[in-house]
Amino acid sequence: MKLELVKGSRSRVLAALLFAIMVIFAGRLFYLQVIQYGYYAGLAKGEQQKRLSLPAKRGEIFALEHGTPVELVMNETVYTVFADPQIIKNDEKVIVAVQEIAGGNAVDDMKARLANKESRYQILATKLSRVQAKKLKEKDLSGVGFQEVSQRVYPEGGLAAQTLGFVNTDGTGTYGVESALNDRLKGEDGLLVAVTDISDVPLTIGNSNINIPAKDGDDIVLSIDRNVQAKAEQALADGLKRTGATNGSAIVIDPQTGHVMAMATLPSYKPGEYYNVPDAAAFNNVPTSSPYEPGSVIKTFTMATGIDKGVVSPDSTYVNTDYIKIEDRVVSNAEKGHTGTITLQSAMNWSLNTGFVTVAQRLGNGTEINQQARDTMYDYFHNRFHMGEETGIEVAGEQAGEIVPARSSEGNAVRYSNMAFGQGMNVTMVQTAAAFSALVNGGKYYQPTVIAGVIKDGQLIPQDIKAPAQIIKSTTSDQLRIMTRTARATLLNNGDKPGYTIGGKTGTAETIVNGAYTDKQTVGSYLGFGGDETARYVIMVQVSGKNLPMQGARHAMPIFTDISNWMLDYLKVQPKE
Amino acid sequence: MRSRAPLQRGSEVVRRHRPDYLIVLFMGLLMLIGLIVIYSIGPQRANVLNNLFGSDLSDTYFFIKQLSSLAVALVIFVVMTVLPYEKVLKWGGRLLAAGLIACGILAFADWTNLPIAQESLGATRWFTLGPIGTLQPAEILKFGLLVYIAGFLGIKAKEGKVNDVQGTLIPIGVMVAISMLFVIVIQEDLGTGITLALIVLSMLFVSGLTRKNLTMILIGALVLGALMIVIAPHRIDRIATFLKGDSSSTSDAGSYHIEHAKIALGTGGLIGVGIGDSVQATGYLPESINDSIFAIIGETFGFVGLMVLLGIFVALLMRLLQVMDHLVDYRLKLLVAGVFGWFGAHVVVNIAAMIGIFPLTGITLPLLSFGGTSMVFIAAALGLVFQLSRYTVHGSRLKEATNENSRSRRGLGRARYASRSSS
Repeated sequence: MKLELVKGSRSRVLAALLFAIMVIFAGRLFYLQVIQYGYYAGLAKGEQQKRLSLPAKRGEIFALEHGTPVELVMNETVYTVFADPQIIKNDEKVIVAVQEIAGGNAVDDMKARLANKESRYQILATKLSRVQAKKLKEKDLSGVGFQEVSQRVYPEGGLAAQTLGFVNTDGTGTYGVESALNDRLKGEDGLLVAVTDISDVPLTIGNSNINIPAKDGDDIVLSIDRNVQAKAEQALADGLKRTGATNGSAIVIDPQTGHVMAMATLPSYKPGEYYNVPDAAAFNNVPTSSPYEPGSVIKTFTMATGIDKGVVSPDSTYVNTDYIKIEDRVVSNAEKGHTGTITLQSAMNWSLNTGFVTVAQRLGNGTEINQQARDTMYDYFHNRFHMGEETGIEVAGEQAGEIVPARSSEGNAVRYSNMAFGQGMNVTMVQTAAAFSALVNGGKYYQPTVIAGVIKDGQLIPQDIKAPAQIIKSTTSDQLRIMTRTARATLLNNGDKPGYTIGGKTGTAETIVNGAYTDKQTVGSYLGFGGDETARYVIMVQVSGKNLPMQGARHAMPIFTDISNWMLDYLKVQPKE
Repeated sequence: MRSRAPLQRGSEVVRRHRPDYLIVLFMGLLMLIGLIVIYSIGPQRANVLNNLFGSDLSDTYFFIKQLSSLAVALVIFVVMTVLPYEKVLKWGGRLLAAGLIACGILAFADWTNLPIAQESLGATRWFTLGPIGTLQPAEILKFGLLVYIAGFLGIKAKEGKVNDVQGTLIPIGVMVAISMLFVIVIQEDLGTGITLALIVLSMLFVSGLTRKNLTMILIGALVLGALMIVIAPHRIDRIATFLKGDSSSTSDAGSYHIEHAKIALGTGGLIGVGIGDSVQATGYLPESINDSIFAIIGETFGFVGLMVLLGIFVALLMRLLQVMDHLVDYRLKLLVAGVFGWFGAHVVVNIAAMIGIFPLTGITLPLLSFGGTSMVFIAAALGLVFQLSRYTVHGSRLKEATNENSRSRRGLGRARYASRSSS
């Protein structure tokens, strides 16, 4: 277009001025948009492109009920209500609405929180249900926002609490299976790299977006049977009430697979309210995490070692004087009077320490627990029965305990004489019960596990059972079954349902108080099995309390009996006529 | 030195002829571009406000509001093209008075906390008129000052008394000072103040102010402007930000706005991110739909798009100069000069701020920014110019007769325009 500006008119000056400015503008824009494009595109990317984590759904945990998975730990979405006090004008209106709908879930000091006008984020209420959140959203309060939070719910309440553990506020599994299998349960968070608006809401703009979907965690099925667990907890609670013991634990294992069917510890807690537990000791899963000196229940293992090595049989005899001297120490029997020449079966029946020190001696040269005897015992106790080492069970915080090696300076004859009846060593209940399973199942050691499998597409995919190791001869196992059955029958008349094979061994272990063994505070335990021709379950029970002399036969055995009889019905074991 | 005295047409009547339709074309193009951009970023803007204030604006809220503003603006434009300019000039005093009174009412309403005064970011510049929307009284003032001074100065120019300090410059100075008192001191609106100054300066410049007086006035304006900056801390901040230039950062609250304007422009690159793909409009760039719309256009259409946009602005401004030059009546000439100053001030000050070569002052990009008042008054001013473009006189007689060949054989007053419209 041809401009016809009048010469001499100042319009030419104005036009020149305008063009000059536009040239500056164009130059500047060329600099910003073309030359500096990379720089500003980089700035924009740094600011606009956000890496958003797509949270994976934490896997749920199932128990079994006669082999069918049932929910034990589920997820639920709850809502946290927060406010931006800078936006909220009418505090009172917000307080009334939140209190009306959230009730007890509202924080107490809402007024003070909203009065903090410097702040842009204040939590007003937590753990609102979907319905509550919806109602509050309908109030349309400006400056009030909602945050979805996933939390664990426990349809079975406190069942198997210590075995399960809980999920802390960070979403990390703590204690129990939740912690041990945290990686499998939590899954893998996805990643969304996207251009977002200023409130971090992803936009569909941009071509360098990355979208890696979240990989949800595994839904894990425990081998814990809901009903067995409930029964074990109930029997334990009844037992504690009866005996006055303050602490008790029980473990039920399937000796044919190593599957833990129940693991109970009292006192317990509710995982859904873990934050109300005053003493973290309640989180401890005693059967896996509290090694102790097991006492006489170990006599079954000493006997098994002797039989398996061929140095003794149940009918082997020895002269019982109620005392036996090992180097400079004297070991005496707790139960006295069965003196004279007696069989090892009798020693088992009456739990005579001298009998099993004798077995230990016979593993050596017959009169001493020499290096050969100690090596053999260590080989059996540690290498074969896997005592004093972690079993690898999928519950966090497992402890190894300790079997003092035969070749260490501490592993002398005195110690090994004590180990023959279960003192001077530290083991966990799960180690003991898993090893005992091999004693009664034909000699096969199954690694104990609480995992039965995973749920995939609604189906239970069983986890392979690790091939067992033959740790003792099956004939040894056969003899142990009979010996423990006889030992049990000696102490118990008419306690068991007739027609079944039930065997077991008591244990009363002295504890160390102020550096010395005392019989004023003892741990009573019972280790046994039940079934028909084959062992169908192994149960170990332990009761204790501060300054309480808890005895295996009087205090722990009735709990075993209670669970055992119930198990026979539950597993529909057929009695022999 | 050639005589700066204009060619007098005396009482000769200029025949009404075809107006300069290019003014309508360029204005329409700018309005259309603004509408497209507002349509494309309206949803983001609504979303940002909804998130921020819990409001419930729909995706088309801004588009529809802009559409209705445009409709009103076009109606006003048409009215101004037919409303006889003599009447408009006659009402100059009343318009100026109306502007001053409106500003006075606003100041009073703000002082007594009446609900019609809308306070935003510490300054009160708007009337809230319920469902009708908002009104910025400074716009009335601009229009009033434009028309009144055009009439006043036009007569002085005709009488050759433009450089009469007592009779011309001081009265104008007083009028401007009163207006500035309202706009800059009370409403704290430096951007509008600059616009007012440029409207008046353009008119003074075109009216034939001597170089000496011009220099004096410019120095006076600069001193006063510096004073205005010094007395207001937020202006010092903006100057400080401006002086940091490209080394300022987004994390600094003061430079947040300008840095994001630059990011918007920078990411636009050569050809832009495309319609609807602006990210800066999703809340990063403040005032993305109003004062910062230039940056969003730059992001959307890139350097090429902005060059086209600047081209349209220049073309429209050049049309104004063209019309101005070919008007005979000095009042009309100055009227157009004032509109040139007005429109040019908005364009230059707004864009200069967005590209970081002038401090932010917060004025709209005319015809593009969202907002009714600015649009309506600019349209009114352009409507007036459009009307005046019917009364231009073309022909060699208007040029200085330095070239024999340029002497036209055509008759006086004959509009050459019709035959040139496509050139």
